[in-house]
Amino acid sequence: MAIAAAAGRPDTPRSPQHLPMQLVGGWEAGLLAFMALLYLVGVLLNPTFFGSTDAISAVLRDTARYGVMAVGMTFVIVNRDLDLSVGSTLGLTAVAFSIFFSPTHYGMDAVPAALLCLGLGLAIGLVNGVLVAILRVPPFIATLTMLFIGRGLVLGLTGGKTIGFDLKAQGYWLFAMGETNALGFNNQILIFLVFAVVGAFVLAKTRIGYETYAVGGNEQAAQYAGIATKAVRIRGFMISSFCAAVAGLMNATQDKGVTSQYGQGAELIVIAAVIVGGAAIAGGRGRVIGACLGAALVVLIDKVLREGIPVTRTITVGGVEMEVQALAQLPPGAVPAFLGFILLAAVLIEPWVVRGNVFGRLKAWLTGSEPPPSLDPGGAAIVGVKTFGTASDARGVGARGLRAFLHRRDAAAIILVVVLWLVGMWLRPDFWGSLNNSFNLLLAFSEVALLSLGLTYVIANGDIDLSVGSVLALSGAVAAYVMKEMGGDPLLAISLALAAGALCGAVNGWLTTRFNLPSFVATLGMFYIARGLAAWIVSGRQLSGFPERFNLIGRNLYEVLSYFGMPPQAGLWLEVTRAVSVQTLFLLLVAIVAGIVLGATPFGQKVYATGGNERAASYAGVDTKRVRFLSLVFSGLCAAAAGVIYVAFYRSFNPSAGLLRELDAIASVIIGGGSIFGGYGTIIGSLAGAAVITLIRSLLSLQVILANGASFVLPQHWMNVFIGLILLVAVIGDIWFRQNNIFGEWRRRRQLAAAEKLRLQAGSKGA
Amino acid sequence: MALLELRGVGKEFGAIRALGDVDLAIEPGEAVGLMGDNGAGKSTLVKIIAGNFAPTNGSIAFDGQPVHFTRPVDARDVGIEVVYQDLALADNLTAAANVFLGRELRRRVGPFSFLDHGAMNRRAGELFAELKSETRASDVVRAMSGGQRQAVAIARTRLSDAKLVLMDEPTAAISVRQVAEVLDLIRRLKDHGVAVILISHRMPDVFSVCDRVVVLRRGRKVADKAIARSSPEEVTALITGAKEAA
Repeated sequence: MAIAAAAGRPDTPRSPQHLPMQLVGGWEAGLLAFMALLYLVGVLLNPTFFGSTDAISAVLRDTARYGVMAVGMTFVIVNRDLDLSVGSTLGLTAVAFSIFFSPTHYGMDAVPAALLCLGLGLAIGLVNGVLVAILRVPPFIATLTMLFIGRGLVLGLTGGKTIGFDLKAQGYWLFAMGETNALGFNNQILIFLVFAVVGAFVLAKTRIGYETYAVGGNEQAAQYAGIATKAVRIRGFMISSFCAAVAGLMNATQDKGVTSQYGQGAELIVIAAVIVGGAAIAGGRGRVIGACLGAALVVLIDKVLREGIPVTRTITVGGVEMEVQALAQLPPGAVPAFLGFILLAAVLIEPWVVRGNVFGRLKAWLTGSEPPPSLDPGGAAIVGVKTFGTASDARGVGARGLRAFLHRRDAAAIILVVVLWLVGMWLRPDFWGSLNNSFNLLLAFSEVALLSLGLTYVIANGDIDLSVGSVLALSGAVAAYVMKEMGGDPLLAISLALAAGALCGAVNGWLTTRFNLPSFVATLGMFYIARGLAAWIVSGRQLSGFPERFNLIGRNLYEVLSYFGMPPQAGLWLEVTRAVSVQTLFLLLVAIVAGIVLGATPFGQKVYATGGNERAASYAGVDTKRVRFLSLVFSGLCAAAAGVIYVAFYRSFNPSAGLLRELDAIASVIIGGGSIFGGYGTIIGSLAGAAVITLIRSLLSLQVILANGASFVLPQHWMNVFIGLILLVAVIGDIWFRQNNIFGEWRRRRQLAAAEKLRLQAGSKGA
Repeated sequence: MALLELRGVGKEFGAIRALGDVDLAIEPGEAVGLMGDNGAGKSTLVKIIAGNFAPTNGSIAFDGQPVHFTRPVDARDVGIEVVYQDLALADNLTAAANVFLGRELRRRVGPFSFLDHGAMNRRAGELFAELKSETRASDVVRAMSGGQRQAVAIARTRLSDAKLVLMDEPTAAISVRQVAEVLDLIRRLKDHGVAVILISHRMPDVFSVCDRVVVLRRGRKVADKAIARSSPEEVTALITGAKEAA
């Protein structure tokens, strides 16, 4: 039909003799050319490193691990899923291997330990797959949570310490895996080659690959064609995790030990590699060879960026000028920031450069000839890709009247807040209700709650903002830098910090609405970029010593009033001013405004309509792009405000501020009645959700006095595992209890069955 | 004077001509059935009238005034409303909120404006009563049947006192019993003096509510005659091309 032709098919044959570039390997050839060019740049910048043959084998050795993971990730991305957990799977499996093998722990034989570790990899993949394919959790949420849980487990198991087994490793052949062989190159490169060849063959030439492409291209069609699509997707996740486990083994055998840092941020390199290698985030397209070349390219970029340029500095020591050899290196954080940019750029290349035929039009413009027909760039192709998720079917949600409260989507959160508080009271009656504890609870609450306010809008819109924790760090870094290094006024610092947050939100919004990127991809890019920039701005250091006037933002009212020379004397007023801090009041103010706007104004109605059915909303004249853009900007602003408060409260800034806070905030919104698929969420609910998260965190770190007088505190390392689990439970609970109402469904079926039984009994009596 | 008048309207997508030089006039209060096979240009024509596409050539006049729609909102502003095939309703909102979507009733408090849910529920209730539908204004659309959803979509068009309502396959996805309900709704729109363009594949629907039938084939208008002087057999022949023109 005419409309379909106009919308533009990427595979419309231009001339019959001439296969599309992507089929004859034009993409891969371009990657190779680009890599050669980049290597030359490396040689020019740093001839001592890149000029040597060692450099090639070092780049290849590092590529090997990421390449193996990229092979697995290709299956997941072609399936139209996403696996953010590979980095922590690498870390966790490496740690598991070390614990099994190390003489200081279980001291097992090498091979059984390795097999156990590969089995663990498969198990993680199975969990990811079941969460995504069967429990219908959106992949970016499921695997991001697994990342979090995996990191928590790594920390918990190692206690943050290094495990080494240098001596024992000498007696085992398995460790040849990570060694340089007789031919002069590292065995990891061999393993990588095997994975690349097998992976390429399986994806391109076997039924498994065929099914993968079918599921990624159109899951429903694949299902109708008799493919067990859920099994295919679970298989994809298992392949990916298995590859990550192999990479973990490679890492552990190379270093003969592990640290808790293993695999941190690896998912960024791996996903960027696969996308750079020509796979589409919208699924159904991608090749293993491209992914492997992509891995080599991204690792090379990483190396070139990290290696630094040798420079000669002239310094004066005691009046004598001396020339000193030094390496001019990029500051910490710059590399992840660049990689984040590369990820975003790579995602945009396919819809905008290839499909939009930028080169063809450029050529036509240069030669002055007729430009090729401009295909609608991106357009319908990438929009609506929230990777897999479900719009649940319409099922009854009817009840009202006396039970109205219980049927509110935020009821569970409000009840939980009360219950959790009572649990705290029961565990530590001496301490829980005290003013001190309440003050601390309120403080911890403010940060999560502030982030969740902005996210409530974004999630109600059907988008997601994974970057809030990083934006918090960036704006904190800006505020700290302006005051400390530039000697700026606190007011200027706050304005610039808020502007930075708004800018991040605007970039997120611009990428999602103007370039039609799925919001989880745009904000994932920002997740790395903003955190990288934050570390870059402060050069990875901790900054402190700001004007006390600024720090008042993070103090309680008592201190503020004292600063202005009118401390409260006694009585209730004193108590109140000691418990309430500026940030709590600020939060309250923002929450009230945000709540009214969302609940009672036309703008809020537009947010819900956009999240409920974007097309319906735009037909009804709602400028849905504007609504989504503004929501993402608001989220950025909230995160920025949280960043400013963070700096003021701690009187210092640390580049790890707000690390993985996005999970707390997303969990708050979902617990508070938001739906990850959009259309729901209230400010009251999100506040209650944030309170639940705060209370759980605080309960978990509570010192419990046991009956025998001993006391017990949960090690902080395990906290992440719990928060991750809670987020998963919240999302699954939302999907299955709130959206699909499985209890109601079950009750209805039982009633039907009972009625049927009665009818049958009556029938048999009658006969 | 015709309410809507199209003169020589055509639409090209690149090299493909989806619609060529269609003339069409709709009188106030008239129901016109627009029929044609897949790809005949029905959707393109409807999207031009609704402002989704600008025509490549030709002119459109509404109420005697020449109009140029660039966005759906432009068409709505002059009094053209569309009921989309999949109804384009936000499942998570109530019936009243869907009826008022994009033109919510507000209550001003100083410089701020707030939603007036009470007034919206009342007004939507009146509209449903007018359409003799049992839909309740404060129910969530998610829990509604196909017929009730149609009522919500049609109530949207009544809200603005539209002069022309375009209905794209309103009976395609609903049960037989609900079809009768929807056809009743269309008749009620006619009673209020609203002109209706009904796009449908179902011959009985067109012949039971329309005054006139227009047939498109391969982007051209091949027939435009009163229902009374046509028959389902003739229309089928026109759609398939067994009969060239009438």
